[in-house]
Amino acid sequence: MTQSAPIPLTVIGGFLGAGKTTLLNRLLASGHTRCAVLVNDFGEVNIDAALIKSHDGATMSLTNGCVCCSIGSGFLDTLGRLLDETGRFDRIVIEASGVGDPWRIAEIALVEPALRLDGVVVLADASRIATLIDDRQVGETVRNQFARCDVALLSKRDLVTDAQLEAARAAIRLVRPDVRIEFVSPDSAPDLAMLGRRPAVRFRADPVDDGIDHEADFRRWTYRRNGSFDRNRLAAAVGALPPQLLRLKGACRIDGEVRPQILQMVSRSWTLLPPDGSNEQIADAIALVGVGTADLPADDELDAILDGALVAPLAA
Amino acid sequence: MSSDTVVYSARKIVTMNPSRPVATHVAVRDGRIVAVGSEVEIAQFAPGGMIDDRFRDKVLLPGFVEGHSHIMEGMMWSLPYVGAFDRRSPEGKVVSGVRDVDAIVARLRESESKMSDPKAPLFAWGFDPLHIGSYMLTRQDLDRVSTTRPVMVIHASFHISNVNTLVLERAELLRATDISGVVAGTDGLASGVLQGIAARFRVFRVLGNPLSSGITLDDVTRYAASACVQGVTTITDLHNDLTDPTIELYATATRSPDFGVRLVPALASVSHTPEQAIAKIAALRDGGNDKLHYGIVKLVVDGSIQGFTARLRWPGYHNGAANGLWYIAPEELPRLVDLYHRAGIQLHIHTNGDEATELALDAVEKAQVATPRPDHRHTLQHCQMADAAQFRRMKALGVCVNLFANHVFYWGDAHYALTMGPERAGHLDATGTALRIGVPFSIHSDAPVTPLSPLFTAWCAVNRLSSSGRKLGHETEALSVEQALAAITIGAAYTLKLDDLVGSIECGKYADFAVLEDDPLAIAPEALKDVPVWGTVVGGQVRKAPRA
Ligand SMILES: [Zn+2]
Ligand SMILES: [Zn+2]
Repeated sequence: MTQSAPIPLTVIGGFLGAGKTTLLNRLLASGHTRCAVLVNDFGEVNIDAALIKSHDGATMSLTNGCVCCSIGSGFLDTLGRLLDETGRFDRIVIEASGVGDPWRIAEIALVEPALRLDGVVVLADASRIATLIDDRQVGETVRNQFARCDVALLSKRDLVTDAQLEAARAAIRLVRPDVRIEFVSPDSAPDLAMLGRRPAVRFRADPVDDGIDHEADFRRWTYRRNGSFDRNRLAAAVGALPPQLLRLKGACRIDGEVRPQILQMVSRSWTLLPPDGSNEQIADAIALVGVGTADLPADDELDAILDGALVAPLAA
Repeated sequence: MSSDTVVYSARKIVTMNPSRPVATHVAVRDGRIVAVGSEVEIAQFAPGGMIDDRFRDKVLLPGFVEGHSHIMEGMMWSLPYVGAFDRRSPEGKVVSGVRDVDAIVARLRESESKMSDPKAPLFAWGFDPLHIGSYMLTRQDLDRVSTTRPVMVIHASFHISNVNTLVLERAELLRATDISGVVAGTDGLASGVLQGIAARFRVFRVLGNPLSSGITLDDVTRYAASACVQGVTTITDLHNDLTDPTIELYATATRSPDFGVRLVPALASVSHTPEQAIAKIAALRDGGNDKLHYGIVKLVVDGSIQGFTARLRWPGYHNGAANGLWYIAPEELPRLVDLYHRAGIQLHIHTNGDEATELALDAVEKAQVATPRPDHRHTLQHCQMADAAQFRRMKALGVCVNLFANHVFYWGDAHYALTMGPERAGHLDATGTALRIGVPFSIHSDAPVTPLSPLFTAWCAVNRLSSSGRKLGHETEALSVEQALAAITIGAAYTLKLDDLVGSIECGKYADFAVLEDDPLAIAPEALKDVPVWGTVVGGQVRKAPRA
């Protein structure tokens, strides 16, 4: 088993035509980092021939250190092989299928020690997304793609009016009121590290930032304690939190764990992960920030639910 | 008269050719049928009047054609079987079903005790909780098999598995119940039920994937052996990436004179762009031989009904479950269908739910309007929930259908109570409707999802009995024995565009026979599944099925 630091994983999701391939093409060509990119449709990968070192039909190696692999149906095997080549890549990027749920793929990084989930980015065509989200046949599929993403990335901004753009943002915010919304730059490759999960402590400083004044629609709740949680009781407590709480993030201690953990809860599903080692120091206590709808129950009511999961402090 | 002509006499020959439905003698030369008829008509073909009477007490039918099964059937038999119903192995052995937890544990213990490497993981297959009173295995159950060896039971659906505690510990999943595919038990720890891509990835990374090493010659040989045991002489492999090693393997295996079945692989569209797939099929068409037939591309539109991943029209699932998943985007399907249709390729389109069926019909209609193509024979696979209006559209569009008759037995109760409710479950896999409306149809097993056995599949379509004994739409959707036998022979051959070569016993076709111990038309319809299969004849080669 590998001892080296886990490789950051970014999952790129988004419905058909959202611009995933364009983004991945730019990413491969830019060569800022040595990326291994797993794509659905090899035929759409369009890289300058001068940059291609070798191409065997399933894997394309580039002179800038990047590699592009076809997912085909041997996805698990392909990813496994990439992980075996430790140290060769700075980042792994997986393109989810247009009808797939990127979160399902992202979960691999939550159970695979050789990977660290750095972000789920869901692309959306600014001119279509408002319609797609309500579509009778695919609306549910599209909404699910946003349910647990870190960033919604709007493409084709130059092709839409301000009103259309606002409609696109409003449609996404209806599904995910707290999601960060960014734009695909028309000409440069995105910096995936910038789109990635931010260090936990910063959630306190700027937990939600979509450039829109939403104070009237949302309410924040901050929970701070010294001590640690019991893991099983925490699971029960998170499950007991009211549905008005849309998102909860921050650092905490779990009884029996050496390192502090990052708790993230979105849309009723939650994860506990060790923090990214390169980040700022994480407080040795519990500090969580939640965002909910305006009718979120009072702070002390919410506090009481999580207090139930605290391990009783040892007598000194 | 060529001296290598052989004339067989039989107790009865059921030809499935309506212009000569029954006979007693058949003449065979160069692997093909010279003539079929009465002794008076056929004796003249026998060299020196010598008639081979080895089948004198047997009944010959056209070799059965399994229109939807997978090479995985050949791969699974390398692992112990823990399904609830009896199943016949490629060696011809009846492997009895294990119908409760203790029996499952006992079967696994028995396999465990025979393993020489103490560290090797034990994999098993075929489990379905719906068949043992909705009891889900737990890690504690599998710990009774071993606490020192990894144990993994793969469900009949292939989407879910159960593992013992050791696997959870090694994969570090015991506490990972926040992952959507890691189900929590009553103690808050993982119960051992795993599904979804993340858990699968992690477990196979730790244990190795028993099925990922690629198809081997042993797998293909086992598949052919199972075919012989069940009287099948033409078999599909209805979803294959057809990588270069597989193409090579299929060519080698089928060129061997001993290979006992005709193989019809379908290229999986999911692992190719349409341009790649079209080019691959064009190249492969010439790479076939008399036992290897390329030309079909498979599209998968939705998931499964019992897994609640099929796409249903209003009012959706009977128990209120959320609608299922698209595996191809609804706006992408017309583009794909159009490209393949234009390229002259025959499509087999998996649609389980009626919304997926509707979408597929819309796509074929568009493609037909843009590029009218007579006799395309695009075939809907499974198509379990189609109503009469959808069958009428199939008829109008020249679409065939291959219905999943075995579902009536295996999941009919679940469909009645949970997924579809009484009315829709009554026209599940509506063979009667297909017949009334005149849609060319076949019936299938989807082996290894359900057992490979066309006579059992025919029994399902004739009796429409669920495993608990409930009759589902029997008065309106059941077939007669004769109609069901047509579905597993000439009907299936038609959906594969091979009806000029196989599917009936008539002059010019391959000498492919199912050799039965009894006449399926003379027995009680309830006994159809129990008619013993003696073996097969493929291209004139007689093959007695093993009986272990
Ligand atoms: Zn299927
Ligand atoms: Zn299938």
